Amino acid sequence: MNYQRILNFAIAKPKVIYSLLLLITLLSVAMLPRIAIDTDPENMLSQDAPARVFHNQIKTDFLMRDMIVVGLVSKNTIFTPEILSVVEQLTNQILQLDGVIKQDLLSLNVVDNIRQLTNEQGVNQGVLFEYLMKQAPTTLKASQDIQQAVKRLPMLNNTLVSGDNKAVAIYVPIIAKDQSYIIAEQIRHLAANISTIEQDNLAIHITGLPVAEDQFGYEMFVQMGVAAPLAGLAIFLLLWFFFRNFALIIAPMVVAMATVLIIMGSLIGLGFTVHIMSSMIAIFLMPIAVVDSVHILSEFADRFKAGDDGSKTIKKVMGHLYKPMLFTSITSAVGFYSLMLTPIPPVKVFGAFIGTGILLAFVLTITYIPAYIARMKPETLAKLQRAIALMEQKGKLATRLEKLGAFSIKRGKLILIAFITLFAVSLVGVNRIIINDNPVNWFKADHEIRIADKVLNQHFAGTYDAWIVFSNNQPPPQTALNSFREILDGANESEAKTTIAERYKQWLKHNNHEKVSFFTQDLLIQLDDFRFSASALEQPWLEQLYKVSAQANNAQKIFTDPEMLNWLATLQSAIVNAGDVGKVNSLTDIISTVNRELNSGDDKDFAIPSSSNGVAQTLLQFQSSHRPQDLSHFVSQDYQRTLLWLQMSSGDNQHMASVVSWLDDYIVTNPPPIDVQHQWAGKSYLNVVWQDAMVSGMIDSLLSSFVVVFFIMVLLFRSIKYGILAMLPLTFTITMIYGLVGWFGKAYDMPIAVLSALTLGLSIDFAIHFLQRVRELEIEKQSLSLALQAMFQEPSRAIARNAIVIAIGFTPLLLSPLMPYITVGLFLASIMILSALVTLVLLPAILTLLARRNKTKTTKNLAQS
Amino acid sequence: MSINLSNHLIKAAKVSGQVALSFSLLLATNFTLPAAELAPLGNESVTTKVTTKPVRDIIDQANLASYYAGDDGRAEARMIIVDENGNRQMRQFTILRKDEKDLGDQDMLVFFSQPSNVKDTVFRVEKQLESDDNRWLFLPALDLVKRISAGDKRTSFVGSHFYYEDVSGRNPKEDNFTLVSEDKDSYLINAVAKDRQSVEFSRYTVKIDKANFLPIETIYFDQSNQAVRKMTVLQVKNIDGIATVMKSRIINLSNNSYTEMQFRHVKYNLGLPDNIFSERSMRTPPKAWLE
Repeated sequence: MNYQRILNFAIAKPKVIYSLLLLITLLSVAMLPRIAIDTDPENMLSQDAPARVFHNQIKTDFLMRDMIVVGLVSKNTIFTPEILSVVEQLTNQILQLDGVIKQDLLSLNVVDNIRQLTNEQGVNQGVLFEYLMKQAPTTLKASQDIQQAVKRLPMLNNTLVSGDNKAVAIYVPIIAKDQSYIIAEQIRHLAANISTIEQDNLAIHITGLPVAEDQFGYEMFVQMGVAAPLAGLAIFLLLWFFFRNFALIIAPMVVAMATVLIIMGSLIGLGFTVHIMSSMIAIFLMPIAVVDSVHILSEFADRFKAGDDGSKTIKKVMGHLYKPMLFTSITSAVGFYSLMLTPIPPVKVFGAFIGTGILLAFVLTITYIPAYIARMKPETLAKLQRAIALMEQKGKLATRLEKLGAFSIKRGKLILIAFITLFAVSLVGVNRIIINDNPVNWFKADHEIRIADKVLNQHFAGTYDAWIVFSNNQPPPQTALNSFREILDGANESEAKTTIAERYKQWLKHNNHEKVSFFTQDLLIQLDDFRFSASALEQPWLEQLYKVSAQANNAQKIFTDPEMLNWLATLQSAIVNAGDVGKVNSLTDIISTVNRELNSGDDKDFAIPSSSNGVAQTLLQFQSSHRPQDLSHFVSQDYQRTLLWLQMSSGDNQHMASVVSWLDDYIVTNPPPIDVQHQWAGKSYLNVVWQDAMVSGMIDSLLSSFVVVFFIMVLLFRSIKYGILAMLPLTFTITMIYGLVGWFGKAYDMPIAVLSALTLGLSIDFAIHFLQRVRELEIEKQSLSLALQAMFQEPSRAIARNAIVIAIGFTPLLLSPLMPYITVGLFLASIMILSALVTLVLLPAILTLLARRNKTKTTKNLAQS
Repeated sequence: MSINLSNHLIKAAKVSGQVALSFSLLLATNFTLPAAELAPLGNESVTTKVTTKPVRDIIDQANLASYYAGDDGRAEARMIIVDENGNRQMRQFTILRKDEKDLGDQDMLVFFSQPSNVKDTVFRVEKQLESDDNRWLFLPALDLVKRISAGDKRTSFVGSHFYYEDVSGRNPKEDNFTLVSEDKDSYLINAVAKDRQSVEFSRYTVKIDKANFLPIETIYFDQSNQAVRKMTVLQVKNIDGIATVMKSRIINLSNNSYTEMQFRHVKYNLGLPDNIFSERSMRTPPKAWLE
């Protein structure tokens, strides 16, 4: 492709360029209203990621819901008629809200109690299944009775009522995560209308991951509406400060706006959701998009003299800048494109669209800007030239840069030693990095979600969920299958035989890859149906088949096995004792509680019955309650899988990760009595999975873009030495930044992880411009020291100016209420400044030292010869 | 219309054994009873069929038809419980029932046979209209007979969508009824509990077949007047001249999970002795009456 021809065309036919740009921009803008926001951290994993598929399967199979946790916290006990009446009132109102799954809501007035009833004479009246609190009590005594009852129900204690009795919770299951913000708002509104809440000094807190996620999405919108325009404004003001010419700075602003609109429009138009990552695209692209324009304007102002032909000057400028601009754009794009190597879909989309945005900005810059400048009036151009000249002379920046230049050239050794020391210290810091994330910490510490999270987790066992699923891992019951086969083979030919044989054949076919039992409830129902309608001839063998199947079906119910259940109970207490987990809810508690009440009601009977049948009969009683469906959260209908619901008081991934490895160790040292497989699910666990993927993905992405950029550098400079030199500033910058992260104990989380690739793509720009110019000047002036001196005039100012533009352009992110944006803003700004400084200090120092060594070598060689 | 007439109808039905009065769990009805057979009762009755009767009479007849068929009865029941994911579970049990008198107290025994790990679990109920029912439970694996204290009767019957009260029959005295509409085949009655706090519904409607006074569809509404639960009769069969509900279903309308109850080997008027309805029978089932 010949740029000269494109340039000529752009200057000759500016209206074509304008119309094209306008058309494409308008088309993209038309796509914007189709925006779909996605705030689900689950989407950090692709739809078919095994951990996610499993998690969702478990959610469906065990009817686990997304929950909003509403907490009412009092200074004193919550067991007073007034507060319990508030709980009742609020619960009943929440039950009326759309999107709430009524039958699974957990609150004091909808859950069941099981207890012994004795009459006034102390005679046992039997076991009683009743609502724990059908109506709020009117007396203190009755309130305290409820307190006593809750303490005896391990499923509720510390889940519905805190251990210190000062907080009570309502677990609100919702049909869809994306309704949680609306429902949470409605609950806040309901609570505000209950006047007694205030009178009783009750504090209401709403938390739960779905709320946090959805709230995040809401604030993301606000964020995009505020921070992106502010970034635009900041850049506009900076450009005004640099060039003092509205007509002129409108050009780079147009490039920036058009780039952002086209990229966001096409992202939305192509059907991608706007995730936390992609919501930052606008604010990333804006500063990057104006950088090339700043180079053009700077150089144009330098070269343009009053009376010159604007078109000619711009052609010269463009011919000169085309190559470094192309290379910096490609390297920046490579840095972002490398994010596509991570296994995290939102990060991929982010990388792809910013990478493309950078290339788009480059194309717009090299076509639109020359076309625009060529059309400017001579007077305007003259004014621009004067303004630039004025700034170049008096700038504080200019004097400081000169001093910096002199320092780096003179103190080369000192600088090198300092950098090597810093590098070593940073490496130590890098090794101290703690990998951790917690979506709730995406909010600032004073955000109501963070406060709710803190308060509720202080009182309760924990509001973060993780699930351990144990499943039967035994081989199929071969003996039963054999006798089934035998009986079937010996049966008389009939419809029943054909159907059952077909069923068996189908199962054999699928059994290899799916571990589905043959002896299912469905089989029993089918056999029973046949038994009902079959002729007398078929009855005997159907009877036998049924017997064999029912026996096999029963034998598979490993989670009614007392030994197995006792193993689980022991595991539960061990897991809680190990820390990190506040409480485990499971099948064993249900069984032991019902068993206690069926027997004496005393603690000694809080145990698993001694036989499988005893367990089954106990559970049959549990199911005779108001909420039989609660059982399905803890055990599958075939009793071959069980779920332990872990309540954790911290959403930190590192805590979750340590529980995961604890369990692996525990199972090795305490093998279960029956061969079972264990798998994890639950949001807290998913976070760990995507975090691991993120960390390894980022390392891949960083290394690959490092290699690619290095090759581009070698290609650009046609020199391995300069290739290596170009990589040095960013190597130092990245190491130092991550060293700082490590030393300050800031967790390596999602935003921090993404920064590495960005740093690489952006800070290489400075090195390219610096080295390219130094080499040109060295040839021009025939001396490195003269070239370096010249470098600290206009070229270093252009670098510094660009660093400032980008850094300031990112600062509106600091105003965001959301932590990831703040982190990214803060780090990017400091990375820009740091990498510009490193470039301006380290490169001259090394170049000078290298030149000196070469000189001594040459002198030595000369002396020797 | 006239109370006399309706009483007369009931008596006639009872004596002849032709009007379908099926026992307890078996929501039964004389669906086979054609209008022509009513004719001998007098011309008046033909016209009555399309005229509004006092709602209390309709309810009494429906109650009689549903829960008091014959003097006693036995049935094998199979419940298929289907959760919202479509997973099916089966429960099987045999029921013995004996009436003290029509629309009066009843004795009942429920013997579980499937799933095999709850085999021989037994429920025993003394249904009392004037006071709380007496209920006992025998769990063979725990070797335990336990009295179930009187409490809420609107709890699940062994994990199914049927409530204990759906099985034993809700006491009509607990509700206020109004006739909403009637057509040539059925009455539509609206019911509201007298003690609203004692139930989870705000109201329910029941459609009663005029031919046999059998409730063929009952819909329960929640506090915001949403239909949340529905009982439908799926199959009716004439047994010993008594039309008997053989299949019915209760569905949870909010998630479409349901339980289907099927009956087999239904027999009426077996002459069950009083003494089998005792604690002894819980531990040692009266095999002779169960076969």
